[in-house]
Amino acid sequence: MSVSLELKDIVQEYPRPDGKGVTRVCDKISLKFDQPGINMLLGPSGCGKSTILRMMGGVRPIGVRTPTTGTVLIDGKACDGAHDDAAMVFQRYANRPDLTVWDNVYFPFRMKLWKKKVSKAEAEKRVKEVLAAVGLPDKDDLLPAQLSGGQNQRVALARALVLRPRILLMDEPFSALDAQIRQEMQQLLVKLHEMQPCLVVFVTHDVTEALTLGDRVITLSTQPARVADDFQITEPRPRSGIWARSTEAVKMEERILNLLHAASPGMGQVRVTV
Amino acid sequence: MTDDRSLWNPYTPLSPGQRRGLGFGAVLFLLLLWGAAAALALVGPNKLPAPWKVAEAFVYLAWDAENQRSLLLTATLWSVGRILAAFVLTLAVGIPIGVMMGASPKINAVLSPLIDPFRSAPVVALLPIMVMWFGIGESMKVVFLFIGAVVYLIPMVRDAMQAVPQSHWISARDLGATPWEAVRLAVLPMAMPRIADGVIVATSVMWTYITVAEYVNAREGLGQLIQNARRFSAMDQVFAGIIVIIALALITYQLMQFIKRRLYPWETQQ
Repeated sequence: MSVSLELKDIVQEYPRPDGKGVTRVCDKISLKFDQPGINMLLGPSGCGKSTILRMMGGVRPIGVRTPTTGTVLIDGKACDGAHDDAAMVFQRYANRPDLTVWDNVYFPFRMKLWKKKVSKAEAEKRVKEVLAAVGLPDKDDLLPAQLSGGQNQRVALARALVLRPRILLMDEPFSALDAQIRQEMQQLLVKLHEMQPCLVVFVTHDVTEALTLGDRVITLSTQPARVADDFQITEPRPRSGIWARSTEAVKMEERILNLLHAASPGMGQVRVTV
Repeated sequence: MTDDRSLWNPYTPLSPGQRRGLGFGAVLFLLLLWGAAAALALVGPNKLPAPWKVAEAFVYLAWDAENQRSLLLTATLWSVGRILAAFVLTLAVGIPIGVMMGASPKINAVLSPLIDPFRSAPVVALLPIMVMWFGIGESMKVVFLFIGAVVYLIPMVRDAMQAVPQSHWISARDLGATPWEAVRLAVLPMAMPRIADGVIVATSVMWTYITVAEYVNAREGLGQLIQNARRFSAMDQVFAGIIVIIALALITYQLMQFIKRRLYPWETQQ
């Protein structure tokens, strides 16, 4: 499943709350993704990572033109609204509390768009498979309140993957989870990506997470966001703790941290888990 | 040293027994005070009838052996019937309008200046207009209850919709929902518990307006029963009627709360 996703000279401006002028959040960002790998978008909190991710997903904030100027291209075609090539997973997993795990994952198939494309039998088969894949095969009938945060995020991930998207956009999906659960979820993502390779764009402010998961790590500066750094990691996944402490990994980490500090002295926060 | 069980601690847990005991005690205390005031003739019986007189009046209203009839039952059935009719009308009109206002800022901008002011407007003052428009029959009473309740329900439904976190809407849109599908499948189901709260408030409002609705040309109903008793200076019956309305409103409230908890058990678990 090949796909190309390209951002061309993306500028995003938001009107200031006091109504006087605009704040530039993203400044001429150009990026191209054409491999089905895991791409990490790293930057301090509030730097505009989520804004960029939403642009890729075609989800637009209300009342603001996105992007202000520039284009998002999917397979070379400009796209400026909702499209079904990408599915998103958010930090707030937005599961419906009144629906069971099964119904939450089946949820998108209740929409006209997917009803037309996927038969009921096929949809049910997919839900079953994806629930097994994310490690919730026997939790069909449970409600979100009966699940832990990690399990709820698995449901949200399953709901995105069940659509077999060519592009998976993840907006700090694991940052609200405990360290141990976060690690489990990262391992799960690696496993799922091997099973169902797609283009993943993963937004995080966690340097360790970026180095654990990424085939490619893009570091953004802040206010406005610009591409500060962009490099590949060739080390195969899953990456061991030994690699994480290797000179190569430590150098990458230092390189990113230096950039982030230079780009935003004293502003924003970066998390490094040891 | 801090005392967790001090009077002034909003977080002190009370056992259900304690809570019921204190509430029951308060009511009992009021009854005793009332009884004492009547027994000692502190207030004239035509102003404040003794509780036992009210009880007697209640028994008489509940079953009039001489005429083989229950005035109270007939009156209650009439009032409940009117409230039920207005209830159906209020839900059928109020919920769709509230949902549309909550889902669309544009519709809200158009309709809210037409609806919101009535929340603080004296709906009672509209009664003469209702009479002019709908006559003095049943439809006037039902429409009056409907107007009184729907102006509360609509803004509450709208607020319930707007209180749903935007993440649900964004997530549904991203999964491919049309805007209306996102409202119907993601936002509305999340708003339901608060919409149910709105329905409960609207019903309580109808119980407070029932006496007013039945002020004009009612031959039956609890409001009429009270008004009739007042005309004959039967204060004991006036009190009995008021107590019955309060009791019915309380029962309705508890019942609706119970139904709401059964329908949306997940609300408190979020």
